[in-house]
Amino acid sequence: MFDLAVVSQILWTSFATSSYFVLFAVAFALVLKVNKVFNFAQAGVMTCGFYAAYVGVRILNLPGYAGFMLGIAGGVAMSFVLEYFGFAVLRQRKASAMFVFIFTLIVSQFIAYAVMMIFGTWPTTIFASMFWPVTLVGGIAVSAWDVPAIAATVLVLTGLWAFLKYSRNGQFMLAVADNADLAELYGIQKDRILMLSMVMAGVIVSVGMFLYGSRAQVQAAAATELMLFAVAATILGGIGNIWGAAIAAVVLGVVQNSSILFIPSAWQGFLLFAFLFFAIVLFPRGFRLPERRNTLKRMAVAPQALSDGKGN
Amino acid sequence: MSSTLEIRGLCKSFGGIVVADSIDLDLSPGRVLGLIGPNGAGKTSLFNLVCGVVKPDAGSIRLDGQSLEGLPTYQRARMGLARTWQNLRLFPSLSVMDNLMLGPRVYSADRLVDVLFRPAQIRANEAEARDRARDILERTGLSPIAQSRVQDISFGQQKLVGVARALMNDARCLLLDEPMAGVEGQTYALIQKAVRDIAASGVAICVVEHNVAFIRDLCDEGVFMFAGKVLARGSVEQLIADPHLTELYFGT
Amino acid sequence: MDFVYSILIFIGLFVILASSFDLVIGHCGLISIAHPIFYAIGAYVSAMLSKQSGMPVPLSILCGGVGALLASALVSVPALRVSGDYLLIASIGFQLGLIELAKHFHEIGGAGGLTNIPSFLIKDFGRESYVVLVLALAGVTVLFIRWLTQGPYGRMMTAMRDDELAFSMLGRNAIWIKVAVFAIGSGIAGIAGGLYAHYFRFIEPDQFGLLQSSAVLTMVVVGGMRTTMGPVIGAIVLQLMPQVITFFNLPPSILGPLQGLLFTGLVLFFMFVRPQGLLPAADLWVGRKPLEGAGHSGKEARS
Repeated sequence: MFDLAVVSQILWTSFATSSYFVLFAVAFALVLKVNKVFNFAQAGVMTCGFYAAYVGVRILNLPGYAGFMLGIAGGVAMSFVLEYFGFAVLRQRKASAMFVFIFTLIVSQFIAYAVMMIFGTWPTTIFASMFWPVTLVGGIAVSAWDVPAIAATVLVLTGLWAFLKYSRNGQFMLAVADNADLAELYGIQKDRILMLSMVMAGVIVSVGMFLYGSRAQVQAAAATELMLFAVAATILGGIGNIWGAAIAAVVLGVVQNSSILFIPSAWQGFLLFAFLFFAIVLFPRGFRLPERRNTLKRMAVAPQALSDGKGN
Repeated sequence: MSSTLEIRGLCKSFGGIVVADSIDLDLSPGRVLGLIGPNGAGKTSLFNLVCGVVKPDAGSIRLDGQSLEGLPTYQRARMGLARTWQNLRLFPSLSVMDNLMLGPRVYSADRLVDVLFRPAQIRANEAEARDRARDILERTGLSPIAQSRVQDISFGQQKLVGVARALMNDARCLLLDEPMAGVEGQTYALIQKAVRDIAASGVAICVVEHNVAFIRDLCDEGVFMFAGKVLARGSVEQLIADPHLTELYFGT
Repeated sequence: MDFVYSILIFIGLFVILASSFDLVIGHCGLISIAHPIFYAIGAYVSAMLSKQSGMPVPLSILCGGVGALLASALVSVPALRVSGDYLLIASIGFQLGLIELAKHFHEIGGAGGLTNIPSFLIKDFGRESYVVLVLALAGVTVLFIRWLTQGPYGRMMTAMRDDELAFSMLGRNAIWIKVAVFAIGSGIAGIAGGLYAHYFRFIEPDQFGLLQSSAVLTMVVVGGMRTTMGPVIGAIVLQLMPQVITFFNLPPSILGPLQGLLFTGLVLFFMFVRPQGLLPAADLWVGRKPLEGAGHSGKEARS
């Protein structure tokens, strides 16, 4: 029933489309790891990133790259506002995890409604046309969108990896993720690092939204579903594991897109919720709202201290 | 005499840090055992393992001959295990009295169905718990502050409330985690008396404490722990006198 | 007059929803915003039972409540077994997933909604009687939740919120308390759903989504969590406020988002400016006066 050409075509397209899923998941996982927040407001950041690019390209008639920059600026601005006026204030007030979570959720809803007021509820795209020219590569149709999208994703991931591994700020970020209070004790400005990770997440999701919005229609509420996908990937990938989330996002993206082979397309949307539910019921390992550790485990002296009669 | 709590070959490590290294320990009814050792020796971790807060890697724990393996904390408590906490863990939104009211081992308000459909039983249960709480408050000298918020009373009184709350369980085995840290004067005497009374009623007690005087006054026996191991067991005098253990304790 | 009746019904229903949601999120401290899905389950179960099998409406409403109660366990048992924090994500997945599912089932009306739901009371006794019924049930709900939270169960929920570990160490089973409270709250929401369905006689999946979630959450946060009257005040204020906007004759495409903006904006405002809500909850839990003849303790409580 399925010949090889059809299957490989679908697999390729699903792989290409999972590029933005990966970006959303990585951003969500990064903020969860460093800021210890289930940032549902990411949907709001995504919406801002998209509509900033949309305004640039469709309303101001700027060229694509300018729209891209504007999109990133939009996402970054929203991230900044969230961290500066939201999370930082709540942190200072020692608000409970529930309180912070409700805040993220409500903010994303607030932004969605605000966007609906301004831009209406009709779906739109960044470019006037969603059509991308296609080249045949060994029997598989590769669209002009696929390659740049995958390239951009790989570039962002490599950049993030290099940043975390080699840059000073990246190492600070991991230190804060590991133990924020201890990191502060060692002179790392916690607030600056938390801001940095929010802003970076803003950049990453804005790139993702630009990719998504140049290929599919977006309306104000779309970001919520895209973000829930990222949540499912983050849980499946293992909390605190950014790259695990990226891999999970690719797998989920391919499964969802290629599900067209097995189930009616009307049910595709439902798959997301099935993923979410299964992620929680079957693979919950390590998933919990991270509590900040207050105490340090002291390294115990090895038992041979006894034989030589010395402790230290 | 059979032991109330029997620990055999208990092991636990977090990553590379060993907090329990094949521990064997027995608590006997009516006797007070003192756990001594430097910070990080695994004393509180041992309590956490016994209470089911932390799962052991290996080993067995028995309470009155029944295995506690795999049981959640609340079931262990219902079998007659009670403890206090180093950092107290009182309920700040409740009065002293209400803190105690939650302590009975069996409490029918646990079940929502009973709360909704068997009000008479709940009332009787509440009354019983209240009488018991009053009695304990009386004995520990806390009656005058029964209705105060726990933040509004002195630190020593808070410690005492922690002990009193654990007593509500009518436990077979009681674990006290630093009951004397930061306590002075009259409260000191009250806690001491309370622990003696409980022991006299046949409860097996284990105390983690840094206050050597308290340990010496109160404990029938002591155990010295270091790096997750039980290094020595004997009379408290013996343990204190041992120069080798003293050296480990003060970490020269 | 029908307009006024509708508003009164809505106030009654949202008093029920907000109070029961406060029981779950405020008193029990369970993070979930999926309350409207249990409202939906109650509405759909009751509507289908009375429409398809001709079950008497009061009975079908009750079945709707039981249905919502049981459905809540599908979410809470697997989620809470692992950790309280899961409930939130599991319940959002459940809410949005079930809405998505309902849209694909033509037997229950699909995305277009379920119409011609049998009405109740209105034909025989007029709309006033239904208004009275809903308001009376709202009153009963508020009193019931007050009774529950001021009794021994309320004491347990308070302690559990304060310190779950110490709570378990006293022999109390936190998981089942959470499952039970989540079930009761959801069951009450289910009954409200049935009451909705048989008055307005039309329900559609989309009306039970995140907008509804933020509306109910707003009522609780604005009114004041863990207070008896907070959710009531929240429900009344937030039902009347959107009515004011309708006087401006805005087109529906603006009106919907504007309401959403208002709800969410209010929550944000309150979260930062007055996090305790209009009615702040007391720091100290105080139960009903003990009835069992324990004479002197009551006086001590006042000192």
